[in-house]
Amino acid sequence: MGTRCAARYLLTVASLVILISGCASTGQPSELEKKPYTERLETRINGGLRVSISVLSDAESESVYGVPLAKKGIQPVWIEVENNDDVAYWLLSPGLDPNFFPASEAAEAFAGAGGQTSPALSRHFAQLAFRNPIPPGNTVSGFVLTNRDEGVKMVELDLMASDQLKSFSAISHVPGFRADFHDRDIQNREFYTPGEVTNYTDDAAFRAALEALPCCVTNKKGTRHGDPLNLVIIGDSDVIFSSLVRRGWHMTEATYAGSIKKMMNSVLSGERYRYSPVSPLYLYERSQDIALQKARDNIHQRNHLRLWMSPMQYHGKPVWVGQISRDIGTRLTIHSPYLTTHKIDPDIDEALVALIEDVAYSQNLSKIGLAKGVGAATREAPRQNLTTDPYFTNGLRGVLIFDTTPTSLGDIGFLPWEGREGGMVNESIKRNQQ
Amino acid sequence: MRLPAAAPITLFGGRQAPGIKGAIIIVLLYLGGCATWQAPETLDDSALRTRAVSETVMDVTLSASVLSSEDSQQLFATDLNGNGVQPVWIEVQNNSTHTLWLLRAGTDPNYYSPLEVAWPLHARFDKKGNDEIDEYFDSRSFENPVPPGVTHSGILFTNPHRGTHVLNVDLLGQQTFFPFTLFLPIPGEFDERVAIAMRRQSTTSYTNYQDADTFRAALEQLPCCTSGGDPVNLVLVGEIDDLGAAFVRRGYRALYIENDDRQQLFERPPDIVVRKSGDGVTANWMRMWASTLRYQDQPVVLAQTGRPIGGRFALASSNKPQLHPDIDESRDLLIQDLVYSGGLAQLGFVGGVGTVPETLSENADSNSRYHTDGLRAVLFFVTRPLAISDIEFLDWVPVLQQLEAEATEKNTDK
Repeated sequence: MGTRCAARYLLTVASLVILISGCASTGQPSELEKKPYTERLETRINGGLRVSISVLSDAESESVYGVPLAKKGIQPVWIEVENNDDVAYWLLSPGLDPNFFPASEAAEAFAGAGGQTSPALSRHFAQLAFRNPIPPGNTVSGFVLTNRDEGVKMVELDLMASDQLKSFSAISHVPGFRADFHDRDIQNREFYTPGEVTNYTDDAAFRAALEALPCCVTNKKGTRHGDPLNLVIIGDSDVIFSSLVRRGWHMTEATYAGSIKKMMNSVLSGERYRYSPVSPLYLYERSQDIALQKARDNIHQRNHLRLWMSPMQYHGKPVWVGQISRDIGTRLTIHSPYLTTHKIDPDIDEALVALIEDVAYSQNLSKIGLAKGVGAATREAPRQNLTTDPYFTNGLRGVLIFDTTPTSLGDIGFLPWEGREGGMVNESIKRNQQ
Repeated sequence: MRLPAAAPITLFGGRQAPGIKGAIIIVLLYLGGCATWQAPETLDDSALRTRAVSETVMDVTLSASVLSSEDSQQLFATDLNGNGVQPVWIEVQNNSTHTLWLLRAGTDPNYYSPLEVAWPLHARFDKKGNDEIDEYFDSRSFENPVPPGVTHSGILFTNPHRGTHVLNVDLLGQQTFFPFTLFLPIPGEFDERVAIAMRRQSTTSYTNYQDADTFRAALEQLPCCTSGGDPVNLVLVGEIDDLGAAFVRRGYRALYIENDDRQQLFERPPDIVVRKSGDGVTANWMRMWASTLRYQDQPVVLAQTGRPIGGRFALASSNKPQLHPDIDESRDLLIQDLVYSGGLAQLGFVGGVGTVPETLSENADSNSRYHTDGLRAVLFFVTRPLAISDIEFLDWVPVLQQLEAEATEKNTDK
């Protein structure tokens, strides 16, 4: 450690000691309440539980923790739970992020020379951490350390008691970034006036409406067809997005210069980059309301999905329409101003089925169905998306219905709609007709 | 057989140096010539069938084996294993009345699609050749669904496991479910430990406890620690298959490091050690030993869980990690992770580790390398997947009540 570095380190530790002793002597949570991040809380109430969350910006996390957490890819989420139920609850950190950081481990990211972590730093991290349980009649607050998201973060809170689970989800803005989610709050914003929304309670009519949707997304002018609209997701936003977060999906960064630069570097190095730009595709005369991705080993491998809220409801639940594809690599293109694009798996149905199988493990998928509307394209005569990637499909769109009540794998049902010959859906039709 | 120049060797997670090397790869990718790949002349999967491991659940039989580099050369005319893919041959004989769907995300949450694996073999300006490659890989892959009375076999392209591939296969039918767990040997990587552990599991004479109170008492009498002094802070109750399925669904796999053997229990090194592998994942380990206890006929496994100092930020090259002193944090977070496995039914705590206060572990003169509340967590696993809302907390050691009281007291003090 250089002299300057050592001095800075000592200063940090010294300021921490002051901070800690300050906390200990006052014991006042108001220290935190004065912070700017507590002025933009997202609050949700379910029965006797009230939860409030706020995601810290890079500057805020450095000021609270005394070390630059963002440089290690760590982002604290501040959580407060008020429990007016009659049982104790436990907050499940893997629900927020399957690869979250235990407080002690995050402190070790700032170990000094020789791998030694300062005890004061460790204690500070421990003190800030959210501590289970949340006894009845109590309010508990603290931080859970997650992988860093830019722009907005989908926060999923699973609170568990014996034989009980209460889930909350919220989308929290992180100051200082942009994201695909054009500053439109999914959970609060009205996309349509009440007169524009049709609530379907009849399955046949709903199926017909889904089949009548456009086959594909378009370019901005609506003059060319792009990727097929092969996905319909039904359910309250809380349930849908919490299920996706549990399976490792997260929001994407908007396409802009900084992100492009990072992506180009990432293409060259093959390093895992949590974000890569998602180009806008159009439906309902607007670009996607939300774009999500699930990064795998590196940038070459990720699954993308884009969703638009439709003017339809099914038994009062919002209906999202969208597109899913699997990126199997990055290639150069002249059809994008960024000169690179993702090479998608031409077997677009494979990507859809992979998503269905993935969310089957999310605990909240209750029904699966398939409906027409995409239009078949054969392997021999594939269609093309806007960046000229070929794709083929059986022409069906996946319909996923989510429910607030957790459903175990063995209880997921199938809608008696379309299916491949001999497929699981046809089988269920036969069973229902018997 | 030579990989075409167009094959981007970074595709499957390789870590190439950034900059000029990467640029060269991109240029090669762009300029690559005709595909040199040729479909294998003969299709012989008899070797895979011969060494397949099988299991039958009700009327469904699953067989599987892991492909070696030679096997993948033979079946795909390219060394997929060398590119970071571990192909697994799977056969489902469906004699049930259900149409079955194999949930690949349950077998490997990051599995590769057939055309994804085929893509590096593509060449530019050779659409016909590329189509042939795609078609070939597609035709060899496992096809869903499997109708009643039908047998399907094919390849699943998974991420690599070492020594033993613990294969979890979840077959979904209409509101029904057939789960399988197979322990597949990896060719050329005979894993003696697993073989011995499996043998021990089936032959050891054991004490079968029927009553929760006597079982609890027996658990508290078990040794506090391994020979190396690490606390035995976890008890797993359930069939080995169900434990394996729960671990695999959460991304754990058998992964040993040199240091594991220093921790002995019942005078032997751990039977199995599991960790998550990959970048940015939890650094927890579970070192497990089969015990001579059973509870209501279910095997009981003792385990030591913890994480190394430095966690995922420590140098990957370190083969002798030190136990991080906050072992309760590791234990509790591991439980939280397994809550999402769908395999956990009940959860309780018993004594037996012995309390070590934090002040003691921080004292350089003491021998304690860790601090703990002295409890071991007892996790009960089942076959049929459960929702999180079905998990029951047992009030054995009233740890939850104690913590509740402490938390309430802390809040009142403010």
